[in-house]
Amino acid sequence: MTAILEAHALGMQYGRRRALTDCTLNIPPGHVVGLVGPNGAGKSTLLKLACGLLNPTSGSITVLGETPGSGREQLARVGFLAQDAPVYPHLSVADHLRLGAHLNPRWDQDFAERRVAQLGLDPTQKAGKLSGGQRAQLALTVAAGKRPELLLLDEPVASLDPLARREFLKHLMESVADNDTSVVLSSHLISDLERVCDYLIVLVSSRVRLAGEVDEVTAAHHRIVCTRREPDALPAGLQVISAEHTDRQSTFVVRSDTPLPVGDWAAEPLGMEDLVLTYMENADSSLRPATRDAEVAR
Amino acid sequence: MIWLTWRQFRTQTLLAAALLAAAAVYLLITGTQLRHSYNADLLSCHAPNAQYTCMGLLNGLQTQYNGPLNLIELLVMGTPALVGIFWGAPLIAGELERGTHYMAWNQSVTRGRWLAVKLCAIGLASIVTAGLVSLLMTWWASPLDTMSGNRFGTQAFNARNIAPLGYAAFAFVLGVALGLLIRRTLPAMAATLAVFIAVQFLVTVAVRPNVMPSTTTTVPINQTTMSQAARFDRSPQDTGPVAIDLPTPAGAWNLGETPALNSAGRPIQTSEVLTCWSQLLSKGPVVVKGGPPAGFGSLGACLAPLNLHVNISYLPANRYWPLQWIETALYTVLAALLAAFCFRRVRRVS
Repeated sequence: MTAILEAHALGMQYGRRRALTDCTLNIPPGHVVGLVGPNGAGKSTLLKLACGLLNPTSGSITVLGETPGSGREQLARVGFLAQDAPVYPHLSVADHLRLGAHLNPRWDQDFAERRVAQLGLDPTQKAGKLSGGQRAQLALTVAAGKRPELLLLDEPVASLDPLARREFLKHLMESVADNDTSVVLSSHLISDLERVCDYLIVLVSSRVRLAGEVDEVTAAHHRIVCTRREPDALPAGLQVISAEHTDRQSTFVVRSDTPLPVGDWAAEPLGMEDLVLTYMENADSSLRPATRDAEVAR
Repeated sequence: MIWLTWRQFRTQTLLAAALLAAAAVYLLITGTQLRHSYNADLLSCHAPNAQYTCMGLLNGLQTQYNGPLNLIELLVMGTPALVGIFWGAPLIAGELERGTHYMAWNQSVTRGRWLAVKLCAIGLASIVTAGLVSLLMTWWASPLDTMSGNRFGTQAFNARNIAPLGYAAFAFVLGVALGLLIRRTLPAMAATLAVFIAVQFLVTVAVRPNVMPSTTTTVPINQTTMSQAARFDRSPQDTGPVAIDLPTPAGAWNLGETPALNSAGRPIQTSEVLTCWSQLLSKGPVVVKGGPPAGFGSLGACLAPLNLHVNISYLPANRYWPLQWIETALYTVLAALLAAFCFRRVRRVS
């Protein structure tokens, strides 16, 4: 099967500001992808490039094997829910479903009506009068109702209260489960996405810092506590992500794609939240690249 | 897409239809009254024992309807501007401002098609609206236009026949393009009004008089021509030129007259005509209300031996329709260029 998203050296610049730099990704199909990073890291830019709202200034991107936004067929395959879930304030809930029905060849009216009923939305209500959570749900219904193969959601839960977040994600998972829809959803908080995503991309300061399946990524990272030492004193093959030192102790977060070698340290696995925060805090560069990278550089 | 366009545009369409209906009722009623008075006046002044002259009666009618005429002309000239401001400018700017373009442009419809349907549907509505208003206006004012014989005046030309259709098409697409550039509705509306007025002014003042070759005619100053003159202006100083308003051919557009020239083609000086002028003044008041000034004929007779003439450049009456078509075409081409710009630009907006 074709990759959800393939990017090679993808870059996007607004004037002199770099929104995305040298982004190379290959996301295999059938995933719920969490795109995490601080505000302004380039998450929205990446999603807009993926749905064809933006054209890249350098590099290339294909989504489901095609150029994003390249025509009706490609538009039908990719659904996009923008930040703050914009809806037409003067159109009613039912009008939004009609909009979806008129503009999409594969529109699933049964699904959309069922979801509106489940959410308890009044079809005659103007969308401008809905609460933030209801608006997000309506926009999601329109985006999912066209039965896309890939659903891109930009900060869908950012403006929702915790209860509404849980509701939204639950509905999202229900909506995509029956159709094997792939999903990419962004957030600046990993805790929003932890429960739903099985693939993780960490984007910091316009660069991809980490990308991979959640299981593999969490298995590869360890926190090790040892007597005080410099990162260079650690065995080769360990990529040091962060280092903290007290008078007598050093704490490292390391990545090792092979099983962690036994050493004179105490090692523990990292939760996803800790892992992502570590990458966000150490945005500039890793303290020491894995030795094999260093060898390549020589 | 057509459904969405209609759904989003429904309120404006109904509002425009209601306003148009109200205007139509007013124009049909007053227009019928105007025709009635016009025919009655013509009948009474052509009767054998007529009390008043036709000119006097019709002048009265023109004065009576001058207020409504100006108001309606303003309405017709304002319609394209309103269309540009309220239909054109918010078309894309409103979507960009609310972020709803993210929803619109991520349905299974390309942006090009989205824009094409919107431009065609609402552009057509704009042209139809302006066309109806102009049609009503042209019908309403036709007795007054027949009386005044002045079809090239700015208001008379801009607010009749087919020119308003071109204005509406242009104003609408101008609003769309500026909304796309400025991305905010209110500033885009203001800019649309400003640019539209500027273009109208420029075309009226600088383009319209020059697009068609004008005719120049030389009118000698003698008793016959002077008896039809509307104005004779000497300069306050003895050395200044003399200006005479001689009549142009019926229905023509007077583009400009030279001052009175002598046989060598040089403007004569006021001192050269002072003798004739004093002769005229000595016979009593010159200006009579409601008709051409009396006594200009004798002034002409007195001036005839000086061999004076005035050069008048004008567009003959039969240039009216070519000029209307040219102007409509010009605005249509501008609208098409702006539309092409919109199609290019909309693909690069996010």
